[in-house]
Amino acid sequence: MHNTADFYHVLRIDQTSNSLREEIKEHCHTDIEMCLECGKCSGGCSNAHIFDITPRKIIQLIKIGEEAKLLKMDALWSCVACQLCVDRCPSSINIPKIMDYMREKAYKQCVPATRPNVELFHELMLGSIKQYGRVAEALMTVQFNIKSKQYTKDAEMGIKMFFKGKLNPLPSRIKNVQQVRRMFRNIPAQREG
Amino acid sequence: MNNRKKTALIIGGGVAGMEAAIKIGNAGYQVLIVEKEPQLGGALNKLYSSFPRWENPQDLVDDKVKKIEKCSAIKTMLNTVVTSAERKEKTFIVNLDSASVSEQVEVDAVVLATGFEMFDASVYGEYGYGAFENVYNSLEFEDQLKAMAGKDKSELPQVVAFFKCVGSRDRSKGFPYCSKICCMYTAKQAGVMKDLNPDAKCFVFYMDYRATGKEYEEFVRSVIEEKHVRYVRGRPAKVLPENGKLMIRAEDTLMGVPVEVAADMIVLASAIVPNAKTGELAEMFAAKTDQYGFIEYDSKNPVQAGERVFFAGACGFAVESLGAQHQGAAAAADVVALFNQD
Repeated sequence: MHNTADFYHVLRIDQTSNSLREEIKEHCHTDIEMCLECGKCSGGCSNAHIFDITPRKIIQLIKIGEEAKLLKMDALWSCVACQLCVDRCPSSINIPKIMDYMREKAYKQCVPATRPNVELFHELMLGSIKQYGRVAEALMTVQFNIKSKQYTKDAEMGIKMFFKGKLNPLPSRIKNVQQVRRMFRNIPAQREG
Repeated sequence: MNNRKKTALIIGGGVAGMEAAIKIGNAGYQVLIVEKEPQLGGALNKLYSSFPRWENPQDLVDDKVKKIEKCSAIKTMLNTVVTSAERKEKTFIVNLDSASVSEQVEVDAVVLATGFEMFDASVYGEYGYGAFENVYNSLEFEDQLKAMAGKDKSELPQVVAFFKCVGSRDRSKGFPYCSKICCMYTAKQAGVMKDLNPDAKCFVFYMDYRATGKEYEEFVRSVIEEKHVRYVRGRPAKVLPENGKLMIRAEDTLMGVPVEVAADMIVLASAIVPNAKTGELAEMFAAKTDQYGFIEYDSKNPVQAGERVFFAGACGFAVESLGAQHQGAAAAADVVALFNQD
């Protein structure tokens, strides 16, 4: 059970801020004021069993402007963006998009991810795309496992996949990788501080 | 002017249409009721019980039918539909069609009372309507209740779950509106279920319960407090068949925790939509309809839809039988006033 002390405190809701709600409306094109508070998102969430904060509560936290709590939450990193919530939402509130936005925000503000090696994974993946124009799966897996010190993690499966012809150990490059690199150049520096 | 007696055409012989017919007929004008079904009564014929007084809806239908039969000014045509209509100054020439004959009549005013349908809940893949057994919409469940009455408890479902707002208040499915009557009939159905099988567990999944009518709040409270129906606040997310049961997954939004119910039967309170023929008929008589296809009312007269065209009952918007009678009577008053002035 939850420790009641975590959440059972008086909220001065007259002193909360709307700025996060407005920000999300602008960036995610989704208006959380359309939320009917029905809980269909949370009831059907494929990963709710490992969420510290379930989708309906996430929407409520946005309403009361609890940004710090949202950036620190574990759900940010356990959401797999399966889209079940937005598919079933009677108001089509795009929760995966909000999660994406909050993840980016956490990264920019250097709020550490609650799950190990999340940033390493994202960096390697983007690095691979920048270099080859696509994800070089085998190479990236090796890089990731070495850097995260999980040396033998996927070795057994990797070998099997290789012999079945499902895994190409050599990275292949797309035709016009410059185009992809140009896209990367157009993105401004992401991180503050 | 000819000496033909003033005649009102009532399209739809449900409770609203019957009420309008009785009032106009008893005021001394001719009435023609056109009903597509083989009997009068409309949706009430399908119901097992009514709210907020737990009455048998058949008693109300029988009472109205008796009054109609007693009034010589009212002619009823069953199994009949309106196929076309043409406005001629202050009258309409209307073509009627039944299995046996086609007929043309001249009428001086029209009351549309075409009633409602339930929206097709199979749009929700997650609820399994039309795919899983024992998932019914609320109208179908009334039939189930009729079939259950008199059976032994052991033959009846032990766990029944009711989902409110299926379609209603769901912008993603195109129905942002509240269907208004589901809160009440769902409470009634859960209550009847408990009467038929006091051992049954009944769960009503709700977002709000809206009981805004005389004796309505007391009615819902009595279902909770005296019949012990459990109200769970949350919209169910999915239903999966599991070991012969229907496993429902939802969030109890008051607790913020997931809940599951293994149900024997699920009842979906599907959104109320206008009868499919409403749009066609509205066009024939130049009545306005709103974006959902309900007859649009005139702000200055809530039962008027156009020149010499009135309406009553659920073709205007979801309404309970009490409100349908009010509207039928109001439309009748307008027709009578119009005929008096002609």
